Amino acid sequence: MNIAQQIVNGLVLGSGYACVALGWTILLGVARLVNFAHGQLYMLGAFVTWYAMVKAGLPYPVAILAAIIALGILGVLLQTAMMRLVMTQNLTSLMIVTLGFGYVLQGGSALIFGGNPQTLPVTLARAKVDLGSLWFTWQDVLVFAATLLLYGAVWLFTRKTRYGSVIRAVAEDPKLAELFGINARIVYLLVFIFECAAVALGAALVAPRSPILTSMGFNEVIMTFVVVVLGGIGSITGALLAGLGLGLFIAFFGAFVAQAYTTAAAFALLLILLVIRPAGLATK
Amino acid sequence: MTAIGQGRPASGPALRATVFVVLAVIGLFLPRLLGGTSVAYSTLTTIAIFAVMCYGIDIVLSYLGEVSLGHTLFWAIGGYTAANLSVKYGLNGWSTALATIALCVVAAGFLGAVTLRTREFVFSLVTYAAAVVGYEIAFNWDAIGGSDGIVGISALKLPFGVATFSGATQEDLWPVALALLLLTLIFIARFRRSRLGTAALMVQMNPALAASLGIDPRKIRLAVFVLSAPITGLAGWLYAYQRAYVGPDMFETYFLVLMLTSVVLVGRRVLVGPLIGTALLIAQQNLFSLGGDWNKIILGAVLALVLIFWPAGLIGLFRNFRKAKLSPQEKPQE
Repeated sequence: MNIAQQIVNGLVLGSGYACVALGWTILLGVARLVNFAHGQLYMLGAFVTWYAMVKAGLPYPVAILAAIIALGILGVLLQTAMMRLVMTQNLTSLMIVTLGFGYVLQGGSALIFGGNPQTLPVTLARAKVDLGSLWFTWQDVLVFAATLLLYGAVWLFTRKTRYGSVIRAVAEDPKLAELFGINARIVYLLVFIFECAAVALGAALVAPRSPILTSMGFNEVIMTFVVVVLGGIGSITGALLAGLGLGLFIAFFGAFVAQAYTTAAAFALLLILLVIRPAGLATK
Repeated sequence: MTAIGQGRPASGPALRATVFVVLAVIGLFLPRLLGGTSVAYSTLTTIAIFAVMCYGIDIVLSYLGEVSLGHTLFWAIGGYTAANLSVKYGLNGWSTALATIALCVVAAGFLGAVTLRTREFVFSLVTYAAAVVGYEIAFNWDAIGGSDGIVGISALKLPFGVATFSGATQEDLWPVALALLLLTLIFIARFRRSRLGTAALMVQMNPALAASLGIDPRKIRLAVFVLSAPITGLAGWLYAYQRAYVGPDMFETYFLVLMLTSVVLVGRRVLVGPLIGTALLIAQQNLFSLGGDWNKIILGAVLALVLIFWPAGLIGLFRNFRKAKLSPQEKPQE
């Protein structure tokens, strides 16, 4: 139960949180949209990966690609259905509609994949690395590296390219952006496809650590909320730091206080922050 | 002004009260009219309880225009309070109901206060997360039931001075469920015309006007949220006596999705909307069930599709239909 091992565990957990939260951060931050089907999309991403590997016998990297493509297509369908609400920025309805979609996905997945818990047979998740008294798996290394890489790439894309400014212009005022010749519908569609593809990738990377169930839903990714709000809605660097920080907090809380109440502890942390800094940590 | 005047004739209150009493009496004998079987009693009791549960979220969604995703927390608070206090301390129904109201007000006040200065969707996120945390606590804390919950809740006892009402069977519980539903309806009807209700509606419909009148939308949100919590809580209270069991399954997303769907299905800001919505949905699940997974797909799809295609609900659809029938005569003038 040494401190160094808990730091490793914290970084492992935290990179997982950040990885799964990336799509949400972009969706909420640059497009000002909320998606309460995120948990079910995570579940679906994990199950498509599982199906591709176990039932279709595809290798892990191909299965990841299959999950990304499948959820990207689903993203097109969902966003097309919601387009009118998105263009009118009807957040209230969008929150409820995505919750409804999530419930449909949960029922549909149970029909297709069955109600039993499954495990993703990824060999990396069983390959242990021992460094003296410390240990972690190669899957953890993969998640950590992929998370840093993804956040770096997204940060560069939104800050340093013309497309990044286009997306932010649409987020600021879709009607005004359209006056400048930007097709806001296409931008929203692409951002939502990114959200779905990112959560599929996150699920394919993170889900091999634990058994997956079609009913796991948002409870599985509840830390996404905490990461996004802690990081200051939509801040990319904020979300990465919040994810890693939260992972460390959970690792230490779980090891030294109570493993059963880690979600409650993370929530308490969130509430304290909301009272002190209602706009999140990253804001000045 | 005339539009309002027409809606309320001079004999309005007396007439409304008479109609209300007649409907209440019919309601009391409704299960018997439907055959008097125990299925009729239990289905109607369930509809009444779930409708009250939906009215809690209704006043937040319809009049305030914000989304609370944490009402399963109040639903569970009601259930757990009734179960714990009656099983461990033998308290009667009045005491457990009062405790439910008090705990719901405290919980909602706390959640509302910490999200007071945040943006509206953060309010939704925090309420949702609160329900997940509530689940975790209920699941792990053995003192209040733990993962097994509490089995064997004794019959609901409501002493009235000399006599004591005891709701041992579904037949006995129906009058209580009906009374709770009618009280809720009266409460919602009064709320709609109250200062808080009109202020909430103004904040939703015309924020600029509300601001110019010095109304703080965030304080209105807090007040409406705190008011809404005990309604859903009392529904959970009666649900515990009906099922004689509470467990962490009271936190399931099913209840949240059911609440939201019931409200939007018929149309927001319709007094009897949530009641009709609940009745339709429960009838589908009990009488025309296609199995748990298909029922989930139906419930979720109804919720999403209604908001996408008919945001005004079935009432709006009906109004459009009537307008379409009238429009041929009006068209030349346009």
